[in-house]
Amino acid sequence: MAFNGHQRDDDDIIDENETPSKQPRSDKEMPVHFRNEPNSESATTAGRATSDRRTSQSATRHRHDSVKKTRPPFPWFGMDIGGTLVKLVYFEPKDITAEEEQEEVENLKSIRRYLTSNTAYGKTGIRDVHLELQDLTLCGRKGSLHFIRFPTHDLPAFLQMGRDKHFSSLHTTLCATGGGAYKFESDFRLMADLELHKLDELDCLIRGVLYLDSVMSSGPSECYYFENPADPDHCVQKPCTLENPYPLLLVNIGSGVSILAVYSENNYKRVTGTSLGGGTFLGLCCLLTGCSTFEEALEMASQGESTRVDKLVRDIYGGDYERFGLPGWAVASSFGNMMSKEKRESVSKEDLARATLVTITNNIGSITRMCALNENIETVLFVGNFLRVNTLSMKLLAYAMDYWSKGQLKALFLRHEGYFGAVGALLELLHPS
Amino acid sequence: LLLKPSWKQHYSFPWFGMDIGGTLVKLVYFEPVDITAEEEQEEVENLKSIRRYLTSNVAYGKTGVRDVHLELRNLTMCGRTGNLHFIRFPTQAMPRFIQMGRDKNFSSLHTTLCATGGGAYKFENDFRMMADLELLKLDELDCLIRGLLFVDRVGFNGHPECYYFQNPSDTQSCVKKPCTLDNPFPMLLVNIGSGVSILTVYSENNYKRVTGTSLGGGTFLGLCCLLTGCETFEEALEMASKGDSTNVDKLVKDIYGGDYERFGLQGSAVASSFGHMMSKEKRDSISKEDLARATLVTITNNIGSIARMCAVNEKIERVVFVGNFLRINTVSTKLLAYAMDYWSKGQLRALFLEHEGYFGAVGALMELLKTTEDP
Repeated sequence: MAFNGHQRDDDDIIDENETPSKQPRSDKEMPVHFRNEPNSESATTAGRATSDRRTSQSATRHRHDSVKKTRPPFPWFGMDIGGTLVKLVYFEPKDITAEEEQEEVENLKSIRRYLTSNTAYGKTGIRDVHLELQDLTLCGRKGSLHFIRFPTHDLPAFLQMGRDKHFSSLHTTLCATGGGAYKFESDFRLMADLELHKLDELDCLIRGVLYLDSVMSSGPSECYYFENPADPDHCVQKPCTLENPYPLLLVNIGSGVSILAVYSENNYKRVTGTSLGGGTFLGLCCLLTGCSTFEEALEMASQGESTRVDKLVRDIYGGDYERFGLPGWAVASSFGNMMSKEKRESVSKEDLARATLVTITNNIGSITRMCALNENIETVLFVGNFLRVNTLSMKLLAYAMDYWSKGQLKALFLRHEGYFGAVGALLELLHPS
Repeated sequence: LLLKPSWKQHYSFPWFGMDIGGTLVKLVYFEPVDITAEEEQEEVENLKSIRRYLTSNVAYGKTGVRDVHLELRNLTMCGRTGNLHFIRFPTQAMPRFIQMGRDKNFSSLHTTLCATGGGAYKFENDFRMMADLELLKLDELDCLIRGLLFVDRVGFNGHPECYYFQNPSDTQSCVKKPCTLDNPFPMLLVNIGSGVSILTVYSENNYKRVTGTSLGGGTFLGLCCLLTGCETFEEALEMASKGDSTNVDKLVKDIYGGDYERFGLQGSAVASSFGHMMSKEKRDSISKEDLARATLVTITNNIGSIARMCAVNEKIERVVFVGNFLRINTVSTKLLAYAMDYWSKGQLRALFLEHEGYFGAVGALMELLKTTEDP
């Protein structure tokens, strides 16, 4: 159990200099039912930014000044170096005064321009423009938060760029999380003369999730769920919030999977994990279909039929296995038809891609459900880049949670999917714990 | 519990128990060795022919196999002494089997054919239409438990049926050790066939199916066939025994550069199964054997992980693994033993049984006889 038990004591300073938190849920949003533990810890609202304390003007001004002193210099980055992808969040200040611009060093300006005037970097870097958060106030500065990703495989190129742009001369702390913060620590040091401030990926994940959900923006709601997941014609995305979310089961699906039980902002434990994650889906797909990217794999999967590949209960029973409530359409043996040469020759690459997606997704769903049951938690939040542009898996998870629990469990999703670790790292830079 | 001789009329030979699974049909056949001269005289021709066919061959057609090493000799069942034979063939060959039943006029013997497994339901009509045979359909999990407890009780020709691995974490000193299922309850029973069922067994007649997973033996074989071009379970295992899964899987140390200490994840633990395979370079550098090994390890570890979660949820320390996925599959049995031991810090123990996937069929036979062994 990872309990750091540290209660933040500078909440007051942050409130007035942060984007205000959302108002209490409106009637338009789904009434999400969360279990409320009798103990007061979990009854407190999530995260710093959700508090809506009011203070006097003079107090505000006083705090504003002290924040200025503790504010780190630009640029403000948060980095999450995962098993497959590097996630980078960058805060672009939009309130730069003429004076500030005058004083701005050349390479800082160059970095800012490079990042914000491109949506692609090199061959594989991408800025997810649709995820940009505008008019954000962080630490008293107003600006946009940008979300950038590139394969971990290309980190050397990134380090090279950091060196070429003399990033180290800016003397900023580079807050980094994910396994790569440890693995590449010496590379950063040796190749780009950069010191990483290493942070735990799960701490950052939770911090990032709670922050982004709490931020009030004019854009779409961060949190959403699926209504009627079993009905393709009526399945629709609906917004919601994570107000009073505890306890929460957080399922992070990256290259691999971690499952956390979150009792409060600073109190969570890693329940378990599974090595059959996003990396498995992509790896198997590449092998089985010859595809090379996640997007290709998903494209194929969207066109395939997994029931040609999987052996269903009805293939074995001729119908339902009623005694134990297993409907005929349930998968009894994933890829079970593939031991037959005849069937192997009759399926398409698309069918194989689909079966791989369904197998990995359902396995995660099944393990999640067991954890939810064991931990006595009804709300499950799925995050991680396996779900990026992957509505198929999200709907499958939503459906599985609902169906196998007979409506007891609810699956929730977040728009910024795999970026929360990076956001958490950025928050650590701005508000060190 | 001794059955009255007069009841024997109902249990005319041949005595079969059948388990028609998703991949394999398991057949147990009781060969009486105490046939009197008189009985032999009266024995109808096709019954004699069946007995001879089954006991004088170890292979049937192209795909039928009799596991001679599993034969239970001089068993007493229902007042008769005989040998219990264990036969298997692919479910795909079922039409051929039914055909044989017709050719041998099996229906004229008027015996009940006790059958379990999904196929008992799926092929019920085929048996009726093609061979004029009526199946007595039984639930596969009822039969599994009944059969398992019976075989453990009678033992394996004087040896224990049950075993475990001592020092599973140490490849040098890991050794198979016999045991029995004395006071077996409660036990967690993990049946790994085409798919997996996990049961909590409180007593012979009191159990529940806790959960299951569709990533089972069928997945291992199906994926192996696709990835390596192999065609049989034996080929797949052969390849797996020679491969290195760490070339295929992304380990914790590949991501962290070492252990992920905070949450007790050793560098050698798999973080992402098949995780290296998204890289073309790595795909070009691994062998079919590596892929087979990775498939085996992935499926096995996933089952182990789920079993462990169930054991913790159900507060049970003994986990019994059965099913034909474990047939001649020491890699998986040792991996399961290791995983149970390691991840539970020695709290859980994995147990295995020699007759692996045949318990359903034995249970079906017992239903036919409704008896326990004579003392």
